[in-house]
Amino acid sequence: MEILSHDILIIGGGLAGLRAAIEAQKAGRDVAILSKVHPLRSHSVAAQGGINAAFDNVPAPVNDSWENHSFDTIKGSDYLADQDVVEIMCREGLERVIEMERWGTLFSRTEDGKIAQRPFGGAGFPRTCYAADRTGHNLLHVLYEQVTGLRIPVYEEWHALSLVVAEGRCIGILAFPLFEERTVPIQAEATILATGGYGRIYLRSTNAIINTGRGCYLAYQAGLPLEDMEFVQFHPTSLFGTNILITEGARGEGGYLVNVKGERYMERYAPHLMELGPRDIVARATQREIDEGGGFEGQYVHLDLRHLGREKILDRLPGIRQIAMDFAGIDPILNPIPIQPAQHYSMGGIPTNVDGETPLPGLYAAGECACVSVHGANRLGGNSLLETLVFGARAGRKAASNVNPVRNSRGMISNGVKGEKGDFNPLAFQNQSAAFQSGLHDLSSRKEGEPCFRLRDELKALMTDQVGIFRRESDLLSAKEKIRELKERFGRIGIKQKRLAFNNEWIQYLELEGMLHVAEVITEGALARKESRGSHFRTDYPERDDEHWLRHTFAYKTPAGARLEYKEVKITTYPPKERTY
Amino acid sequence: MKIKRYNPEKDPPRWTETFNVDTKKGMNLLEALLQIQDEQDPTLFFRYSCRGAVCGSCGMKVNGKLALACRTPVEGLLEETTLIEPLPFFPVIRDLIVDMSPLFEHFRKIEPYLHGKPVMPEREHIMTEEERKAVDPYIQCILCGICFGVCPAFNREALFFGPAILAKAFRFLLDPRDRRDKEILESVNHHQGVWGCNTVFQCVKVCPKEVPPTHAIVKMRRNILKYRLVSFFSRFSSLCRSSSK
Repeated sequence: MEILSHDILIIGGGLAGLRAAIEAQKAGRDVAILSKVHPLRSHSVAAQGGINAAFDNVPAPVNDSWENHSFDTIKGSDYLADQDVVEIMCREGLERVIEMERWGTLFSRTEDGKIAQRPFGGAGFPRTCYAADRTGHNLLHVLYEQVTGLRIPVYEEWHALSLVVAEGRCIGILAFPLFEERTVPIQAEATILATGGYGRIYLRSTNAIINTGRGCYLAYQAGLPLEDMEFVQFHPTSLFGTNILITEGARGEGGYLVNVKGERYMERYAPHLMELGPRDIVARATQREIDEGGGFEGQYVHLDLRHLGREKILDRLPGIRQIAMDFAGIDPILNPIPIQPAQHYSMGGIPTNVDGETPLPGLYAAGECACVSVHGANRLGGNSLLETLVFGARAGRKAASNVNPVRNSRGMISNGVKGEKGDFNPLAFQNQSAAFQSGLHDLSSRKEGEPCFRLRDELKALMTDQVGIFRRESDLLSAKEKIRELKERFGRIGIKQKRLAFNNEWIQYLELEGMLHVAEVITEGALARKESRGSHFRTDYPERDDEHWLRHTFAYKTPAGARLEYKEVKITTYPPKERTY
Repeated sequence: MKIKRYNPEKDPPRWTETFNVDTKKGMNLLEALLQIQDEQDPTLFFRYSCRGAVCGSCGMKVNGKLALACRTPVEGLLEETTLIEPLPFFPVIRDLIVDMSPLFEHFRKIEPYLHGKPVMPEREHIMTEEERKAVDPYIQCILCGICFGVCPAFNREALFFGPAILAKAFRFLLDPRDRRDKEILESVNHHQGVWGCNTVFQCVKVCPKEVPPTHAIVKMRRNILKYRLVSFFSRFSSLCRSSSK
C-alpha cells in the first residue's frame, strides 16, 4: 500500500488553512495542504467588508482598544462566547492584520497612509479594516502568494474521505484525488481541519456551492462532538434571487434599509445603531418586515445606497456594484438593491481550545469549521476573517510544536514499510481502506434508490423553512422527523458509476451524507434550546434564559441521532447583561 | 445547448452533445450546467465554487467568447443554439475541466509575493490612497485563465508568461512596499516576458475583473527602455571620461 506522509497535513486551502500552513512551515515542519478545490477557489475569497482590529486609525471622540473590541464581540455573541478566547483574538488580531499588510495586502488607506477602517454592525468604533469591498480576495491571494513563496505542497482537487484514528489518536486521513482511480492514505502527526462552513444545507445561503460542512462531519463521524451548531448566522443583506452576499460594509458606509412603504424600518428595532445593529437583530427585523407585508413582491426589501453618491460607491463598494449589475441587472448608483436575509455563517463547529486542539489528540481545527468559541450565539461582521488568521496561526504553531522534529521525514513510505516515524500504524490505514472499499462496493451494487440531488434539494428547502431565522417547536419537530426520513432514503441510494475517478454521483453522495448529519445536529440543538439567544430565535421562547441556557451545546453522534451535552461558558470580565442597541 | 465533451477512455474521445435546459428568469450558465449534471447527465464535468464571479473556477468558451459561466446570463443565449467549450490554451482533462498548471508554473516564475522593504516594527507600511489606487486594478485578477485563452502571443512563444502573470509582476513593481525594482523588470525582460506580447489588447477586452494586462506590459517595456537608456548613457559617459584621460 502506497502511503504519503507529512508532519502536518492541513485540510482546506482557505484563509485558516493557508495561515496554519505558513506558521507550521516556518517552524521547520514538513507541511502539506489538501483541498477539494484550488486554494484560490476557496470561499474565503468571497469575503467582502473587512477584518476587525482596534488600531484606532480613524479619528474618533474616544480611543478604541482591543478591550473595547472584546466587549463588543462578547455583547454581540449574546454572552455565549468564551471571554478568555475573545480577548486573545482581539489582542493578537492587531499583530495578524499588520502581518497581512506587510505580506502585501492592499488595504484601503486613511489620509495619513494608515490602514483604513469603517464602521460595522454591533461595533462602537470604526474598527473594520478593509480593502475596498474585496477584503477576502485580497487576503486570500496574499496568503496564497506566501504559500507559493514557501513552496508548501498542495494536493489540489483531493477529497478527504475519513480521519484515521488509532489508539485514541488521529494519525492521518484516507484521501482520494478527484481525477484518479485510487484512494491514498496520508499519514500525519498532526491533522488540521480548516474546511469552512456548511451553508449549502440551506436553500438560501450566501455560501459558495462547495460549502457543505464535510470537515465538521469528518470529525463528528470520528466520534468528536460538534459545539453550538444551532447558532446559524443569517446575513440580513443577500442579493434577492441568487443570495450572493452584499456586504455589511454597504451599511457601514451609510446605506439604508427601506421597506415597501419607504420607511427605514430599523428605527423600530435598533433605534441607536439603526442599520448597523448586529446581524441577528437586523436579519430578524428584515425577515419580519417581509413576513408582515413590508416587502416588495412579498419577498425582499431595498438596500439603498444612492445617497452615498457615485464617487463613494465606486471607491469603497466597487465589488458589490459589480455583483448587483452582473447578477440583478441593477446599478446601485441609480437604483436600490433588492435584498433578503440568507444563511451566511456557522458560529458552531468542532470544539477546540485556544491552540486549535480538539478533544482528539493529533487533530486540530481552525476557522469556520471550528468552535473555539469567539462568536457565541452571534458573530459580529469582520470577526470571521480575524478568527481565521489568529486561530489558523495558533493551530499551525501548536501543531508544529507538538510534532517531534527528530522524526521529521519527507515524502513517500511505500509498501507499508515503517519509515522514520515512530508511531506509524499501517494496519489502521489498511483497515480503513478496506472498510471504505467494501462500503463503495455495497453502494454500487444497490439498484434502487433516488438520485442524491432530490434529497439534497428537499433538505435545503426544509432547513430554510423550518430551521431558519424564526424557529418554533412544531416546525423543529417536523424537521427532525423529515431529516430522519431523508436519512433512511439516503441509506437506499445506489450509485450507477462504479469507479472513483471522475464520479460526480459519488462526490454528491459523500457530501450529502455529511449535510444530513450536520442538519440533524443543528435541528436537535435548536429543538432542545428553549430560549432565544443571538441568532437562535424561538418564537415560543422569545426571551434569553441565562439561568438554564448560558451554556454550550455539545452534540455527539449516536445511531439514534445526536446526543446532547452541555458545558459552562467561560466568563472573565463581562457578566451577562440585557442586550440593547 | 451543445456541450463539447471529452473523455479519453471513450471512443471517440471527443464529441458534442445537446442538452435541453429548463430556464428560469435570471438564470445563469453555471446554474444551467448544474441542472444538467443533476437531472440529465452526472458524468458531465466542469469546475465551480463561488457562483459570484470572484473565485475564478468556471472560465469557459460560450459561443466563441470566453467568460465565467456564473456571470453569463442564460437569457442572452436563448436565441440560437449555444455551444459551450472548454477554455482554450490549456490541456483538457475532462469535458469542460482544463489543466491550469501552465498558468501556475508561470506564476511561480515571477516570485509572486511581496519582497517587503524593512519597516518600523509593529506598524504597517505607510502608503497613500493614490499609491493604492495605482496598484488596485492589477490586484483584481482572480487567475481564472480567460486571458490565456484569448492571447495570440502563445502562438509565437509557447512559454510566454501570459497576461495575468505579467499584470501580477507589474502589481509588485508598482507597489511602493516592494523593494524589488530592477529584479522584476529583469525577470520579464525577454520574449517569454513583456517582449512576447502582441499588444492587441485581447486580454483587456475579455477580463471579467477589468484588469488591464496590456497596460502593465507596455509600462514595463517603457521602464526597461528607460533603464537601458540610463545605463547606456552612464556607460557612454564613463567611456568618454576614460578616453579623455
